[in-house]
Amino acid sequence: MKNLVAKKETLMGNRQQLVVFQIANEEYGVEILRTKEIHRYTKITRIPNAPHYVKGVINIRGEIIPVVDLRKRFGLEDEEIQENTRIITVLVKDFMIGLLVDDVNEVLWIDESGIEPPPFSTGSVDQEYLTGVGKIGERLIVLLNIEKILNLDTTLSTGRNVN
Amino acid sequence: MDMSQYLRMFLDESEEHLQSLNQNLLELENNPNDDQLINNIFRAAHSLKGMAATMGFDKMANLTHEMENVLDKIRSKKMILTTEIVDILFSCLDRLDKLVREISNSSSEASDVEDIILELQNLENGKTVASSAKTSSVSLESEMMEFEEDDRVQILSHLKNNYFCYILNVELFKDCLLKAVRGFMVIKNLQEIGIIIKSIPSLKEIENEEFDHEFQILYVTKESEKEIHSAVMDITDVRSVDIIRIREEDLNQQNGTIEKVHQEIAAIAEKVEKVVNTPQNTGQDIKIAPTVRVDIDKLDSLMNLVAELLINKTRLEEISSRINVNNELFNDILQQLDRVTMNLQHTVMQVRMVPIERIFNRFPRMVRDLSKELNKNVNLIIEGAETELDRSIIDSLGDPLVHLLRNAIDHGIEDPKTRAINGKEEQAILRLAASQKGNEILIQVTDDGRGLDAKKISKKAIEKGILTQEECDKLSKQEKFNLILRPGFSTSEVVSDISGRGVGLDVVRRTVESLDGHIYIDTELGKGSTFNISLPLTLAITQALLVKVCDETYAIPLSVIEEADDITPDRVKHVQGQEVFLLRGNMIPLIWSHKLLGLPVPKLNEVDQLSVVVIGTGKKQIGLIVTELINQQDIVIKSLGEFLIDTPHISGATILGDGEVALILDIRNIA
Repeated sequence: MKNLVAKKETLMGNRQQLVVFQIANEEYGVEILRTKEIHRYTKITRIPNAPHYVKGVINIRGEIIPVVDLRKRFGLEDEEIQENTRIITVLVKDFMIGLLVDDVNEVLWIDESGIEPPPFSTGSVDQEYLTGVGKIGERLIVLLNIEKILNLDTTLSTGRNVN
Repeated sequence: MDMSQYLRMFLDESEEHLQSLNQNLLELENNPNDDQLINNIFRAAHSLKGMAATMGFDKMANLTHEMENVLDKIRSKKMILTTEIVDILFSCLDRLDKLVREISNSSSEASDVEDIILELQNLENGKTVASSAKTSSVSLESEMMEFEEDDRVQILSHLKNNYFCYILNVELFKDCLLKAVRGFMVIKNLQEIGIIIKSIPSLKEIENEEFDHEFQILYVTKESEKEIHSAVMDITDVRSVDIIRIREEDLNQQNGTIEKVHQEIAAIAEKVEKVVNTPQNTGQDIKIAPTVRVDIDKLDSLMNLVAELLINKTRLEEISSRINVNNELFNDILQQLDRVTMNLQHTVMQVRMVPIERIFNRFPRMVRDLSKELNKNVNLIIEGAETELDRSIIDSLGDPLVHLLRNAIDHGIEDPKTRAINGKEEQAILRLAASQKGNEILIQVTDDGRGLDAKKISKKAIEKGILTQEECDKLSKQEKFNLILRPGFSTSEVVSDISGRGVGLDVVRRTVESLDGHIYIDTELGKGSTFNISLPLTLAITQALLVKVCDETYAIPLSVIEEADDITPDRVKHVQGQEVFLLRGNMIPLIWSHKLLGLPVPKLNEVDQLSVVVIGTGKKQIGLIVTELINQQDIVIKSLGEFLIDTPHISGATILGDGEVALILDIRNIA
């Protein structure tokens, strides 16, 4: 599969494949190459004293994976867990992180020429969490900078409410 | 021939030999007359040389060769072991160590060893009382090969029977791989056309590969020099053969003029032979159990599989109790499975265990060098080196212990003068001890130096802005000592290059805690201090008590639990605003786990019963209040990953029988 994607990329020039998901009424995307799996919601164990946007940890086939609540991270209001709620596991640096999202819409190709740098304001989400905005026709897909979202660029401990 | 596949083995073995060299040399310094030690050193150096030469690492081979020469003289008592010699030998070991590291990094020897070889040669030439009976100078030997009386008689009788007598000097190529075999073949060829009277080294030594690249043979034959030459040169890997004819008058002359020298040499040769023979004898006595070298990664994955099995076993048990299976056979199988899993887990853990000796071994040398450098007189006592720990823990433990020992020598122990003034023995005692305590390993570094001063520490901590005066006033004495484990702390007035960069102790603490261990300090001003490190036996699987806090499940490792009990709320008393309860006359402070975990704390008058888990750390006890005690079970410890590793009070997670995740509570650092 990976090979196929890589091959297609070279054939078609600069194209990326994205997993597109929904939070509130906006569409977001992460590169498919760093996405591992999409899971239905399973019970999340809360981690006390962790950063507020860490929802907890889940067990996926014996591996403990932290789950980040993107709504919380973007400062949106909480939403009940729905039928469509999903956890997307992505590889960040060398560990796995789960992203809690409202729904996973589709997987699609996007031309790199169609990706624009993040505008100064994309509404609800801080600009620093984005790498760009992809345009497909009328649709706008926000591309996320996951390292930034997890605060990995700075120290791991910032934003943590110790005690 | 491709050598790369042997490189790993070469590096491993070199490391082992270097370690044993270091250790034996240290002991030798204290017991300079112990022949056994010299033999051990000699043997290790010799093996190292052989291996290095085989692998084509010439610098290493040359250096060990020169070391061997010096050691040989010490062994044959032609040189007296002085501190100077020991120092040079130690620096040789350092250079060898450096070479080994270079080889492991880049497969080639980068640093130069000429200078140290020169030093060795100076030693060898300057302090020699008599010329060496073995190796070192070949040309001298080949012409003056010592004939003992028996040999001469034998030669003379052969000469009378129209034999010719020769001294053959056979040299093999340096990179020859099977020296023993080549040597043996040379000897065999020669024996077909003549008689070998003697050889240096002896035939046996040649067969055992205990020679360099050359050996000499005293030989009688009726064949010509040309025949001998071709017989020897027929063998592969023979570089050259020098043939020197011995006539009757040579023998007589040798006999007449240098007889005195001969007697001397013969006596020495005898001695050498004795010494050479000893290691062979002891070598046969040592029984080596067959072992297999296994990649640690394989053991890791084995451990993971066992952990996986354990989780599923727990799940099976849980399900059988939930659906209420009352089938006898099924319960039987479950019990069997339980037993097998336990044994398997136990065995895998055993396999991963290595004695802590592995890291303790290098400390005597370090302490010796350091105390010399700092002009301190330190006696290092090591106890419990045979204590076993999980391999992965041992590997990360080296650096923290180095820090603690350095710290003790640099800051803890006073110089001999000060000690004398304070009425202490001039020689300080530094104790490094390991022992097993239940499910934990306790490692202690104890010095009888100046101890820690709580006042000085708090003053410094406030100066450095680690905490404020008010915060500091609230701390207990013990907590003040622990301040030195904080980042950015260093009490030494002088920053030396040994310790005192203020990075040491907090790194120690971090490493220990990352191993799920705990560090605490016992100290008495003027008497000394002890750094205690307690570590789990193994990182992967442990026994734990499961508890409920509100509706969340947490696991507390049994190793920190002293007891657990349900108490009625009226047993909770207040002392200076702190909730406590009395347990057999001991007042134990209480802590609500709800508070630590950000959960609502229930009011005392709203509950009919409290569950208290008594946690012991070092000498202190605290009572942790939880909502409910569930049960005790084996848990598989999983890391929360890099992202959440710093979470306070949580050291990891485990997977319960129903597949849910429970967090592992770590309350030792609040006690």
